[in-house]
Amino acid sequence: MKSILLSGVFVLGLSMAAYAQEAVIGAILPLSGSSATQGEDQRRGMELALEKINAGGGVLGHPLKIVTEDSGGRTATALDAAKKLVTVDKVPVILGEFSSGITIPIAQYLLQQGRAHINIGSSSTQIRTLGKGAFSVIGLDDVSGTFAAQDVFADGARKVAVIAPNNAYGQGIANAFAAKFKALGGAITSTVLYTEGQTTYRRELQQLGAGAPDLYVYTAYGKESATINRESFELGLNDKKWYGLYLTMCTADSDPQYVEGQIGMDLNYIGGNGADYQKAYEAKYKGGFTSTFNGFAYDGVMLVAAAINKANSLDPQKIETAIAEIGKSYEGATGPIVLDADGQRGAQPYLRLKIESGKAIATQ
Amino acid sequence: MFQFLVDVLMRACDLMLVAIGMSAVYSLMKFPNIALVQYAATGGVLAIALQKAGVPVGVAIIFAVVLTGLLAVILNEFLFNRMLKIGSSTAMIGSLAVSMVFSAAFLVTVGPNPSRFALPVSRPIRILDARITEPQLLGFAIVAAAIGIFAFLYFRTDLGRCMRATSTNEVLADATGIDTGRMKTIIVLISGVMAALGGVAIALKGEVDSQVGMDLLLPVFASAILGGLGNPFGAIAGALLISAAETVVTAVNFGPLMGEVAAFLPVAYASAISFLLLVAALLWRPRGLFVSEVKRV
Repeated sequence: MKSILLSGVFVLGLSMAAYAQEAVIGAILPLSGSSATQGEDQRRGMELALEKINAGGGVLGHPLKIVTEDSGGRTATALDAAKKLVTVDKVPVILGEFSSGITIPIAQYLLQQGRAHINIGSSSTQIRTLGKGAFSVIGLDDVSGTFAAQDVFADGARKVAVIAPNNAYGQGIANAFAAKFKALGGAITSTVLYTEGQTTYRRELQQLGAGAPDLYVYTAYGKESATINRESFELGLNDKKWYGLYLTMCTADSDPQYVEGQIGMDLNYIGGNGADYQKAYEAKYKGGFTSTFNGFAYDGVMLVAAAINKANSLDPQKIETAIAEIGKSYEGATGPIVLDADGQRGAQPYLRLKIESGKAIATQ
Repeated sequence: MFQFLVDVLMRACDLMLVAIGMSAVYSLMKFPNIALVQYAATGGVLAIALQKAGVPVGVAIIFAVVLTGLLAVILNEFLFNRMLKIGSSTAMIGSLAVSMVFSAAFLVTVGPNPSRFALPVSRPIRILDARITEPQLLGFAIVAAAIGIFAFLYFRTDLGRCMRATSTNEVLADATGIDTGRMKTIIVLISGVMAALGGVAIALKGEVDSQVGMDLLLPVFASAILGGLGNPFGAIAGALLISAAETVVTAVNFGPLMGEVAAFLPVAYASAISFLLLVAALLWRPRGLFVSEVKRV
């Protein structure tokens, strides 16, 4: 058995040596399912990164390649995709997914397999505890929940109801928000965790409205959010203010008439030197950003490419060391990315947004 | 309180037509056709797809409903009738298999995302403390009209009399000159049309996705059994009872008992209640809440 394992390692080593010239990395994105809008936007960010890298000479002297797999927004599909990327494409690094409930299991699998994982779209606090080899270029929810609670409190609301998806992300951010909001002196009338992928949320929304809150705090994936926004309009819950956590994710697929006037927080997705990136995006896709998540996908790919060049190797361990090294101070399109001891982005700037005439406008 | 009634009715409308269809088919064919829940899904999905293709809503609905009815007849002719010759449990399992094929087909054709009719945004109308939108009212109207027409057919026409005669005693009906084969085809067509209308009503009120049929299965089955399989109008009472139970479970605020503003059971528990009622009915009232006429003969 041991010898089989050893020879396996040897063959693996050989095959990696053989492909050392051409770098291939993997990505798992929700290109279909309820977060398809964000998944497609992540793919755009990666495409732009790839163009920029390959225009500048590629990685290790060859063009970089990304093998992208669709998760369908489902954990089982995403895990199959991860297995395929590891065993067939033999990639050293995988970026993705979007939903925390999917990102966490694929990252756990990749770490077991000794590959590196870059989180580019999930914010559950559980990601921090994944272990060595897991990195995040996006801020986690201990930071965002606190920001949102302060923001809602400053806005004057004292009694709020919270609705979030019943998964690692939703539970995490609802708890982080509630803890801070209560510490500030506010009250949570009710917290509803909804089951993903339903065609109606009327019952959840009626439960949410029962405590007569001053304001509703919500977060939901694009297409589910569209249903929630329509039904809250139909039930008259939008008489009160709605505050979206990651507002552009919540409003991306909703009819503008239902979400007009909503406020919320979102990632500050363009940093000091992100202007070139924004221009490139707008030129290529004929319009503004469809979500706030493309920049993180872009930064993830750029960071990995830089790390592979620095490591001058496709060995996952060496790439990890290089990422940690570069991550001490990296200037990304989404702002400065400083990775802490856990490999997580330490500081994440956020924006306060308002939906005016169908567009998310930054307010301060 | 009025909101509670509206919610019960709205949920009952989702279930009623399919449950009536299931019971009506059972009364003649002697097997519960599980594929009916997928005829509902087909009705909704097809109508939405036709509207997307540029057909006006009304025409799209009529086409979808008629096509679904024909599909029900074709499937019955080529699949279920043959399976029935082997046995009614074979036909039931066969209809479950057909349902799964439907789910897979929806996943391939319309994808995993829910879809809905492209209707203008309508402000909710306030009736007492409840809010209701025009498409939802239209959904109610469709369900009420379908039940009315079916009741008229069933109780007031020769066709209905022949159907009831066939369901009561097929051999005797045959001997008196009723074409029982034709009666069965007609009831299958009617049940397909009813289910499709039910699906259209669901689509008008909200959204449909590839899973909508399978999600209906348990509550529809429970409604049909509570009402007494083979007793189409008992299914209406069954659907109302299931809907009321589901709504009570999710709408009762336990907050005051626990010293909080609002505390509810998670919505996922709503489907558990139809399971519970189904088990209770099978244990204590296996022939339904009302002893059907069929059984007395």
